[in-house]
Amino acid sequence: MVTPDVQWIAIFPELILAVGAAVVLLVEVQWKPPISRLGLITVVTFVLAFVFTILQWAQAEDALRVGFTGDLVGFSGMILMDGFAVFGRFVLIGVMGLGLLAGWRFIESLGRRGAEAIALVLLATTGFSIMVASNNLVLMFLGLEVGSIALYVLAGMTRQKTRSDEAAMKYFLLGSFASAIFVYGVALLYAGTGEFEILAMRGFFSDVIVTTPAVILIGMGLVIVGLGFKVSAAPFHNWAPDVYQGAPAGITGYMAAMAKIAGFAAIARILITGLPQFDQNWAPVLAGIAAASMLVGSVVALVQSDVRRLLAYSGIAHAGFIMTGIVGGATEGMLFYVTVYAIKLVGAFAIVAAVSGSDSSASDIDEYRGLAKRSPLLAVSFAVLLLGMAGLPLTSGFVAKFGVFTEAWAGGYAWLVIVGLLMSVVTFAFYLRVIVVMFMDEAEGDRVSVSTALRWAVGIAVVGTILTGIAPEPLLKLAADAFPL
Amino acid sequence: MLTWLIALPVVAAIIVALVPRKREEIHLPLGITLSVLPLALGAYIFYVFEPTAEFQFTEHAVWYEPWGISWSLGLDGISMPMVVLTALLVPIALGASTGIKTRRKEFVANTLLLEAGMIGVFLATDLFLFFVFFEVILVPMYFIIGIWGSDRRKYAAMKFFLYTAFGSALMLAGIIALALTHAEQFGSPSFALADLMTLELSQGAERWLFAGFALAFAIKVPLFPLHTWLPDAHTEAPTAGSVLLAGVLLKLGTYGLLRYNLGLFPEASVDAVWIMGTLAVIGIVYGAVVAIVQPDLKKLVAYSSVSHLGFIVLGTFALTSGGLQGAVIQNVNHGLTTGALFLLVGMIYERRHTKQISEFGGLQKVMPIYAGFFLFMIFASIGLPGLNGFVGEFLVLIGTYTTLPVLAIIAASGVVLAAIYLLWAYERVFTGIPEKEENKILSDLSLREISLLTPLAILVLIIGLFPNILLDKITPSTEGILDYIEVSTEYEVPAPGRLGDVFVAETEAEAIAGVDN
Repeated sequence: MVTPDVQWIAIFPELILAVGAAVVLLVEVQWKPPISRLGLITVVTFVLAFVFTILQWAQAEDALRVGFTGDLVGFSGMILMDGFAVFGRFVLIGVMGLGLLAGWRFIESLGRRGAEAIALVLLATTGFSIMVASNNLVLMFLGLEVGSIALYVLAGMTRQKTRSDEAAMKYFLLGSFASAIFVYGVALLYAGTGEFEILAMRGFFSDVIVTTPAVILIGMGLVIVGLGFKVSAAPFHNWAPDVYQGAPAGITGYMAAMAKIAGFAAIARILITGLPQFDQNWAPVLAGIAAASMLVGSVVALVQSDVRRLLAYSGIAHAGFIMTGIVGGATEGMLFYVTVYAIKLVGAFAIVAAVSGSDSSASDIDEYRGLAKRSPLLAVSFAVLLLGMAGLPLTSGFVAKFGVFTEAWAGGYAWLVIVGLLMSVVTFAFYLRVIVVMFMDEAEGDRVSVSTALRWAVGIAVVGTILTGIAPEPLLKLAADAFPL
Repeated sequence: MLTWLIALPVVAAIIVALVPRKREEIHLPLGITLSVLPLALGAYIFYVFEPTAEFQFTEHAVWYEPWGISWSLGLDGISMPMVVLTALLVPIALGASTGIKTRRKEFVANTLLLEAGMIGVFLATDLFLFFVFFEVILVPMYFIIGIWGSDRRKYAAMKFFLYTAFGSALMLAGIIALALTHAEQFGSPSFALADLMTLELSQGAERWLFAGFALAFAIKVPLFPLHTWLPDAHTEAPTAGSVLLAGVLLKLGTYGLLRYNLGLFPEASVDAVWIMGTLAVIGIVYGAVVAIVQPDLKKLVAYSSVSHLGFIVLGTFALTSGGLQGAVIQNVNHGLTTGALFLLVGMIYERRHTKQISEFGGLQKVMPIYAGFFLFMIFASIGLPGLNGFVGEFLVLIGTYTTLPVLAIIAASGVVLAAIYLLWAYERVFTGIPEKEENKILSDLSLREISLLTPLAILVLIIGLFPNILLDKITPSTEGILDYIEVSTEYEVPAPGRLGDVFVAETEAEAIAGVDN
């Protein structure tokens, strides 16, 4: 019997996360410990998974240095350990840690169901992590589904039933629809090339000239649509505001960030690694989607009166900005943007959770009236995160926007950059509206109570936003090294 | 040393922010004391500044190599006066802010951060860094207008922010395009001003880029028809905000046109002389005419700014020695006189809580010292010989007359109109007998207020009487710009408009030969 070639290190982070999820559930069933014990297990899982991504990173760097990249493909070509995959995992797991800190109060408020929430968070991360690392489109779909289904359930996990159930249902129905479209696209790509593996697909195109690429183009289009839904890019965005608003605030930031990171990584992987020969076809499509997302997201966000819907629409605009980075065929700017945006998003939703209550399903802008007088530190933090999202210089948002715009301009999409820059001004308008309410209106209500975990989450997000804005070099270097094979 | 100029206000802001909120009485004096440090440093720099065209005290540190961005600072004759002016106006603006009762700590910290940003804009010699400062200063100013302003403050703050952000968005596109062009021509992107000045741009590209930059700066100046944010921002801002807005923030526009539009796009600048000059002249006349009919004293001063800044833009695009010198020196003058006028309006507002001209009358009798300062600053603003405004406007008009005579003639009417709106306002506010009961009991300026105005008045007088103290340090840089434009385009500054053409004989033989020629 031949033992199959199994490189366990290729999936260590995912293994640890999945085992962690199982342990949390089993311990809960067996001993019903206080939630803080489960927290301990979660922390251990997080730290181990995080450490292993760092080890993988070192391995990827070594391989690139000696120029032999064969070691970076594991599990018979299913899993990749190149810089791109490892960077993606690194960010996913890091954001998961931040999300758990931000959502800890919500998890506690679930009582005995807290363990389920923890397990779902760990499983969602597992799924998306596999999606980011997979070289095989079928495996990528599996990862996408594992992650998405966990998120559908999380969206519905709150005591304020109706809104949350509606959000979960909507997310589930539309999400499955998008997944189906994605699979259809994968099937057509297979029909056109005979390959499921992304690297092999690229090899196929370098050997063969496809004279009738219709099947491949349709497959590519369907894949873009399916993933475009997951990252809430216009015109596939309509689910996002309702889900962001209905899902429990404590966990919404995490949910949104995860889907964006994994979705964009997958888009970049499939298009840039797998179908570079077709960039004349996909780049204009992505540019169109990017422009539409920026326009729809920022203009509609102007008229929102609920902070969560506002963040949802701004998230659509950000999907457009991030996509601008891929249009040029590079990944450095996109990875940097996704990373810093995910951090800000989790931080911002942590504050929303603090102000409106972690399991609430609405956050009217009036709840923020005079926040600067009631809880100055919280208001300043929110202002930093919002201005960071808008892309004010000296915050990570500016470096990120600068990066993606420069790449798009270099790729010949000057018009898209100008649309993006003008829409950035519009995003300023609605982020500033929240700041006006916080700083320039009279105070109503009491001091907002903030838990320690949440304080840490917000603190990390704010410090990270400013630090990567002033000294972006380390993260930019990582993102530059993390190009896909 | 220049880094310290930026760092000192930031450190000061942090120190002020660390003082507990309860110790309300400390924040303002502490802020004023700390803001004297950058002023001292600025004065020292003014003293040791060499009158050459090169950037001095340069500092350079790589920020992120692959993108070609760096922390590059430098001072020349164009930016140096602005830096000193900024450092001077901040302590004065803070000193005028005793009327701020709420959230003093935040106010002082915001003002100091604003100072750091404003100084940074003038010091930056890397376009990325310049843009960072240019954009960052919007935030403290936004808060200053939005939190401590008057009734319609939120609207004004938003308008201010969005207008400027809109302009700078297109400028950012231009900056990215320039850096990528550098990457095409030299292999790696760069944002250093000196590097970008060597680029070969096609005519079309250069014109588009000129337009992008010019739009950003024209909004900031503001040039007609992009000025509508200014009256709102000025009327709603607290006194300190108005002083810094008029004194420094608007100068970012004129400074940017001079430094970046002329420096980066000489060809397009030469082609755009008429467009920019015409817009400037429209601004001069329009601002003045609108100022005449303003019922609100602060709005009147705000519109007079539109008019006065038109002169600066006109001088810049005259592309002559006198025009450029006049533009730079008028940058300073306008900061001093309009800054002082906003201070004065603020002082009367604190006493009467109104800025309506019709509410006053006969104040001369009740507040003689106040009236004296006001009249003095009005004269400086009109351009009375012997005061600073005369030097600047005279240079601009002379410089413009050589190249754009028609515009110079129309612009000269701005001086007359200035006399009309300012003196008429003076007449309505100060002369006659005080009729309203409230006006009869007004107290004259306190020692604090006099000590705020005196340094400005002294500088107005010094620049008016001995302009060479300043001009000697400015001229090498303005001549450097003209030399650069002549080298890189076919444009030649006509002889009467050029200082550098004056023949200087070093030996007797040369002198004789020169006479023969």
